[in-house]
Amino acid sequence: MGCGRVGANLVSKLSEEGHNVVVIDRDKDSFSQLGSGSNCMTITGMPMDEDVLKEAGIEEADALAAVTTDDNMNIMVSQIARQLYHVPMVITQTTDPEKQRVFTSMGLKTICPTTLTVDAFFCALKEGETEK
Amino acid sequence: MKIMIIGGGNVGYYLTKSLSAELHHIMIVEEDCSRCKQIISELGSKRIEVTQGDGTDVECLREAGIFNTDVLIAVTGHDQNNLVACQLAKDYFGVKQTISRVKNPKNIRVFQKLGVDSVISSTESIAGIINQELDWTDVNKLLQERSPNVQLRKMVVELGSYSERRHLKDLGIPKGLILITVLRGDRAIIPSGDTCLESGDEVILMGGQKDIDQISRKFKVMQE
Repeated sequence: MGCGRVGANLVSKLSEEGHNVVVIDRDKDSFSQLGSGSNCMTITGMPMDEDVLKEAGIEEADALAAVTTDDNMNIMVSQIARQLYHVPMVITQTTDPEKQRVFTSMGLKTICPTTLTVDAFFCALKEGETEK
Repeated sequence: MKIMIIGGGNVGYYLTKSLSAELHHIMIVEEDCSRCKQIISELGSKRIEVTQGDGTDVECLREAGIFNTDVLIAVTGHDQNNLVACQLAKDYFGVKQTISRVKNPKNIRVFQKLGVDSVISSTESIAGIINQELDWTDVNKLLQERSPNVQLRKMVVELGSYSERRHLKDLGIPKGLILITVLRGDRAIIPSGDTCLESGDEVILMGGQKDIDQISRKFKVMQE
C-alpha cells in the first residue's frame, strides 16, 4: 500500500527474499521507483477502495503494510484489512506520534517514522557527547 | 446541543448555517485559513466557534473543544479523514454520537463496521432515486415478456385538459385499464371513483396500448 521511498524499498527487500508481493499506488508513475529486479505485481488505484483491495488479493494476503504518505489513509486501509478481511498481519505507518498512541491502543500495529528518527538522532547526539 | 463539524467546505458551511439557526452550539474545524475567515465573516455568531486546523489531529480536536461535544459530524471531502476524525472522537474522547459523510458509497459498510454511528452518502442517495426509475423499466420489461399487450405508463394531468378537476368515475376509463395511483406532491393517492384530479398530478396506469392511447388524450390539452 503506497509506492513511495519506503514502499519501493520495502518491496525490493521482500521480493529479494522470494515473497509474493503486490503493490498498490494511486499514481502509476510511482512504480518507476521499483528496481528492475523486483518481481512484483503493481496495481494503480485508490488503496482504500475495496474493489482495488480485492483485485490485489486481500482475501488471500498473509500480511499488509500501509506506507502511503497519508496517515489517515494508512489507518483506514489497515482497519479494513484487519477487521473486514482478517488479514493476519497488518502494519501501519503513521507520522504523528499522538495518532500512533491512539490507534495502537485500538489494536493496530503501528510504526512511526517521526519517533524512530527522533530516537536515532537523540542516541547519536548522546553518543557524540560521551565520545567528547 | 453542542455539535462539532469537521470540514468547512460547502456541506460543512450549510450544515453550520442551518444547525446554528436551530440554536445548537457549533464548533467547526477547517484546515484552510481563508475559508475559516470567510465562515467567521459570513456566519459569525455567538453560537459558532471556528478553529483552524486538522480535524484528525488530537491536539487540534482538544483545542476546538471536543470534550464538550455531544455529536461530531465529519464532512471533509476525504473519506479517510472523516473516518479518523469519528474514531478519535468516539474512542479517544468519548463523544457519544458520530456522523460521517462518505464519498465512495462502498465505504458506508466499512464505516458502520468500524464504529461510526451514522453514515451518509449523497452518491448513494442519488443512485437510489435513479434505481427506482430503473426498477420501473424492469417491470415494463417483465410485462412485455409475459403479456406483450399490457404496459405500465405514467401520465401528467395537464392544465386545461379534459381530466383536470374531474372525478375519476367521470373520466370514462376503459374497462381494460387500471389506474394504480395518483402522485400528488410527495403523496401517493390510492384512487377511487371520487378521487378528483388536479393539474400536475402524475397518474400511473396499466393496460393495453389502445386503451392507453385513448385515455392519454384526456390528460393532454388537445389542439385542434
